[in-house]
Amino acid sequence: MSYSPSGIDAAIALLGIGILVLALRRDLILKLLGLGLINSSTILFLVSIRFTPDAAIPILPVRDAGIVADPLPQAVVLSAIVINFAILALALVFVMILVERYHTTDSERIESEVAAEQGGEG
Amino acid sequence: MTRRKAAFAITCLLLTAALCLLVARSVHLPGGLGEPQYIRELASRTGALNLVASIYLDGRLYDTIFELIVFSVAVLGVRFYLSERRPSHRPAPIPESHVVRASAEALFPFLLLLGIYLAAYGHLSPGGGFAGGTVAASGLMLCSIAIGADAVARRIHRPSLERLEWALPLTIISLAIVPVLLGRPPLAALFPPRGGGGIFSSGSILLYNLLIGIKVFIGSWVVVHGFIEHRGEI
Repeated sequence: MSYSPSGIDAAIALLGIGILVLALRRDLILKLLGLGLINSSTILFLVSIRFTPDAAIPILPVRDAGIVADPLPQAVVLSAIVINFAILALALVFVMILVERYHTTDSERIESEVAAEQGGEG
Repeated sequence: MTRRKAAFAITCLLLTAALCLLVARSVHLPGGLGEPQYIRELASRTGALNLVASIYLDGRLYDTIFELIVFSVAVLGVRFYLSERRPSHRPAPIPESHVVRASAEALFPFLLLLGIYLAAYGHLSPGGGFAGGTVAASGLMLCSIAIGADAVARRIHRPSLERLEWALPLTIISLAIVPVLLGRPPLAALFPPRGGGGIFSSGSILLYNLLIGIKVFIGSWVVVHGFIEHRGEI
């Protein structure tokens, strides 16, 4: 049982790119793509901390008496995928509502229009 | 404004990277120890050949139940926020050719069967409730691309679908609680595992897989149908 250092480094790099996209891009859809990148980096991290070269798949009976891959990260990755799908669907609905109301996916323009609306009301 | 934001983002990034590198370098991951001890114990306790299924439906069952609750809440949110606002102008669907329609209708039963197979044999082979439900729902999506989402939705009785959608998580949660009420250990299988590698060999994992498969099937269809209803056909 070992781990893959290059996989962990790649996961950290993906996490960095995802955070940059999430913070710097103004487009809401691109922000959601950044969130997807962060999710992928989590999955890559979980898989690579328990990566074993030449391990058999964790389904019994194991042929040729080799080492079985650790099934725990695979079970956790399953949760990560389902939660990501749920979050993405819900976030897309919120983006759709914002686009219908303000006719843009630019977060700064939406912010300034919301500020103008609140100033008009007050 | 933008410069401040960029500085904030880069600081966040550097801090996160430093933290991650620190954690990744300081945690000592064991190497060359062979397989973990719990694998064989888990297999003999649950009777499931697929060790991933025996982890997420036995050892980490409550985690899976919360995952299912998050999924249900997301589906509820999508349906709630989409049903509040009706589409003002919906683009007309583009009619597909007869070949596409006929082949989609012919493929659908087989995709449904494949989904049921994946869910029912999830404890013996790769697959499981989530994978099986997604495969079956993709068959339904294929039909809704080919013959139109409204035509597919007319064939489905909507109130019973909604009732089933909430009855399934409740059934799964009560199935997980019943062993506690019967005085067994909380995560033990409700039905005792038989072993031997048959379809009924692993007790309640089969039941959980089937229920989760139906739940994921219905949930994915509700999400996709909501989007199509609101934004028009593909």
